[in-house]
Amino acid sequence: MSVLEKVRPEPPVTVRKEPRVTDEHGRRIHVGELVWRYLLLLVVLALTVGPFLWQLSTSLKGPTEDIYSSPPSFLPARPTLHNYTRVADTIPVWDYALNSLKVATANVVTNCVGSALAGYALARLRFRGRRVTTLAFVLAMLVPVEGIVIAQFTTMRELGLNNTLIGVVLPGAIGAMNVLLMRNAFRNLPYEIEEAAYVDGADVWQRFLRVALPSVKGTLAVVAIFAFMGAWDDFLWPLIVLSDPSKFTLTIGLNYLHGTFANDERLVAAGTVIAVAPLIALFACLQRYFFRGVGEGAVKG
Amino acid sequence: MATPVRIRRQLPFSPWLFAAPGLLVTGAFVLYPFVSTLVNSFTDRRTLLPGHFVDLANFRELLHDDMFWTGLRNSTLYILGVVPALVILPLLLALLVQKNIPGITFFRSAFYTPVVASIVVVGLIWVWLLDERGLVNSLLETVGIGRVGFLSDQWLLLLSAMAVTVWKGLGYYMIIYLAALANVPRELHEAAAVDGAGPVRRFLSVTVPAVRSTMVLVAALSSVAAFKVFSEVYLMAGPSGGPAGEDTTLVMLVQRTGTGLTGRVGYASALSVVVFVVTVALMLLVLRADRRDES
Amino acid sequence: MPISRRALAAAAVALVLPLSACGSGGDGGGSADASGKVEGDITFQTWNLRANFKSYFDGLIADFEKKYPGTHVKWIDQPAEGYPDKLSADAGGGTLPDVVNVSPDLVAPLARAGLALDLDKAAGKYKPEYLDGAWASHQVPGMSGTYAFPWYLNTGPLFYNKALFRKAGIDPDQPPKTYDELFADALQMARKSGGKVATLANVPTIEDFGRYGVTLMNKQGTAFAFNDTKGVALLTKYKELYDAKALDPQALTATPESSGKKFLTGAVAMNPGSALDLDNFKKNAPTLYRNIGITDQITSTGHVNMYVMGVMVNSRTKHTPAAVAFAHFVTDAQNQMSFAKKVAIFPSTAGSLNDPYFTKEDGTDETRVRIAAAKSLKGAVNYTPVLFSDQMKTALRNEVAKALQGKESPKQALDNAVNAANRLLQQG
Repeated sequence: MSVLEKVRPEPPVTVRKEPRVTDEHGRRIHVGELVWRYLLLLVVLALTVGPFLWQLSTSLKGPTEDIYSSPPSFLPARPTLHNYTRVADTIPVWDYALNSLKVATANVVTNCVGSALAGYALARLRFRGRRVTTLAFVLAMLVPVEGIVIAQFTTMRELGLNNTLIGVVLPGAIGAMNVLLMRNAFRNLPYEIEEAAYVDGADVWQRFLRVALPSVKGTLAVVAIFAFMGAWDDFLWPLIVLSDPSKFTLTIGLNYLHGTFANDERLVAAGTVIAVAPLIALFACLQRYFFRGVGEGAVKG
Repeated sequence: MATPVRIRRQLPFSPWLFAAPGLLVTGAFVLYPFVSTLVNSFTDRRTLLPGHFVDLANFRELLHDDMFWTGLRNSTLYILGVVPALVILPLLLALLVQKNIPGITFFRSAFYTPVVASIVVVGLIWVWLLDERGLVNSLLETVGIGRVGFLSDQWLLLLSAMAVTVWKGLGYYMIIYLAALANVPRELHEAAAVDGAGPVRRFLSVTVPAVRSTMVLVAALSSVAAFKVFSEVYLMAGPSGGPAGEDTTLVMLVQRTGTGLTGRVGYASALSVVVFVVTVALMLLVLRADRRDES
Repeated sequence: MPISRRALAAAAVALVLPLSACGSGGDGGGSADASGKVEGDITFQTWNLRANFKSYFDGLIADFEKKYPGTHVKWIDQPAEGYPDKLSADAGGGTLPDVVNVSPDLVAPLARAGLALDLDKAAGKYKPEYLDGAWASHQVPGMSGTYAFPWYLNTGPLFYNKALFRKAGIDPDQPPKTYDELFADALQMARKSGGKVATLANVPTIEDFGRYGVTLMNKQGTAFAFNDTKGVALLTKYKELYDAKALDPQALTATPESSGKKFLTGAVAMNPGSALDLDNFKKNAPTLYRNIGITDQITSTGHVNMYVMGVMVNSRTKHTPAAVAFAHFVTDAQNQMSFAKKVAIFPSTAGSLNDPYFTKEDGTDETRVRIAAAKSLKGAVNYTPVLFSDQMKTALRNEVAKALQGKESPKQALDNAVNAANRLLQQG
């Protein structure tokens, strides 16, 4: 925080050049404004991404380098990818990643479909018990999960789904929070579009699929990213529900790197980079769509 | 606000068909287990030993448990510390990245990375950075401030955990604000600019009122999350909750008393119930404030 | 009104509890008789050993299956974190594996819930194969019987940073041998370094009280007693160290990992460890490794502390003979010996520690540490009482912290900790 104060943007020195940069409305932005904007952006960038770069740097440090030296050295003296191959040698990291990918993908699909359906019903359909149903989702969002894990496991075992990837996905398959997000998105759509479709004789499924759903792509993208992230990062639930190591997900697998007999900081760092990289990559791929979609005004109170 | 479309071409059960999958999952895996938590809160059940009905004994014990009051204090402080920051900072950030200047998509994505990274990784990294010999303290020493015990002082620890929560949440709420800002009509700003309003005035008189309902949403979401904080404090202050357990939050206490082979499931359930009741009350409070503001 | 509320709640309990019934129900019985034919499919669960010892366990299982045709062992390894939670879920859900890697504090609650097979009854004939102390480490006060085979043991020396000793004017070749020397050196270290270098990184745990000679429990094993004068004396001394910054200021929030790192970074001058750490120093802190000093664990009782791992048999297993045979096979002298040669741990089988591997010097630090540890293990004690649960550890830790911060007197803090632990003991 102190950094923010120190790097207060300096007043611009040269404002002579003809500014050619324009904003989304085609208005010109002055160079002075541009300079302080970029300065601020760089400060925030250092704060948000810096810690990850530090971890990346540790993971690239070779075996002869003292990673505990004080003051710490930021750049690896002789960068090496050796730690990454060691992770793959120590644990079947690709198998775990594949399991995580399966779980995360399934979680995205079920959450998008399930919460869109339920959100649409809550926002647009009239039926007895609608308020109670909404309330049920609100309450479910507030339940502290730490207290119910064992009871969830018991239920899963009764269903015979313990030690399966389905068992990993199910409890979070349709998150109450996502349902409420979708409900808000649908509620904010103007009624006129749907009414037109209604007049054209479209039934409820057609209106949902062809009219309402395409207008809330942004919120769907939010739900998708969060569903993916939630499933990818979860540790305790998959650990409890799975017994067979061949089904373990990446977060559990990477925990093996914290050895019983010795901890290797470089290995752990390489492991965390492996865990985070796919998420960042996924987000980087989707971000254009994500931001545009969000801009459609779907997420709003 | 809006009323649902009058629909005649709709089978009577189709709303339920829409809601069924969500209700089923939430009911079976969240609400039903919580009912058993509710029931357990009236027993002295242990992890491996069945319990007996003990009436309100667990709740009476709570009142005399110093750790419970510590937890309640910390969880409340967490709301006070984190929520204002998460309502305001992401809005400023959203304004910063709103304009489509070159490279802005890169910055937006970069600002979002803390949100996508797992909390365990984030916790590891920050402990590493804030350690007495870590990067931050090395910097502070070169600047001449000297080393600061971010991870050993009771209050600094709580503050550090709050900072991490804010740091991790910035990008998420930034996106929510971006969406809301996109709906603020350009003309409002232009009209204000013509009236000679400076950026600060424009922010207060145009932007804030326009995104007010989003601010309420952010306040509601972040205060519920703040009250239930677990990971950040657990990872930074350690499982026993900082020096003498003074940084324990309520959910940490639930976890500590209720898990493991010797867990006091009954007592932990009572704690869970309290957490639940408080978050419901919080939600109602924020929503009521919202309604009053609107009318 | 209260009556009807009570009745209603009781009815609700009766309704819901069976659905989430746990542990001591009577479902699915195994037998305690291990004398039948060794056959069937069993599952063996270890705790965070796969990453480094996969080939060892694959070989072990292959040998067992060859020795007993008709058996099949499925090996599951659980990661470091969340192991007690995993065991809780499995124990409550009736999905506990047949043979499980445990430590004494994990076996106690499982035994009390009737989930661990009494090996005195089912496998008493194997008892002479193990060190007496090791065999006894999986007995639970208040219950008769032994609930796990002892597996590997660990203990280790105290490492110290010679460079830091030298800088503080302490002879690096004369490390402290007694508690008094340790405390004196620690105070000098703090004084000379201006409070920048601490000597100890951790607050005293139950094990430290034991090693200091404090009586931890009463004779019957029914109540804790570490609030005696000796206990108070130790905590008072620690308070003095803490005030002088001879005990690291971050000690109140330290974990074994974080204090290990502090030793690596040179913020702390001494750290308990084992032969395993030498390799870690070599790899991660080459500067420290050049200055490493090794000395014996300090103890007032003449017995060093040791950690014990065990292997228990699920009392509900469907294949008791095979499960018992396998648990014994894993922990027998030959297999423990070959495991000990893979990693610096020590076998709990009688006579193994007399193997030349644990007695013959070859000039390396690793061997020196190994030999010293093996020697001290013969009289070593697992000081941590098996009934001392995680919740009790937290209670002690928090009370100790209050004493160090000066919020409570040492006596008061230990009284509170003992009371809290006794309350938890009675409830459990």
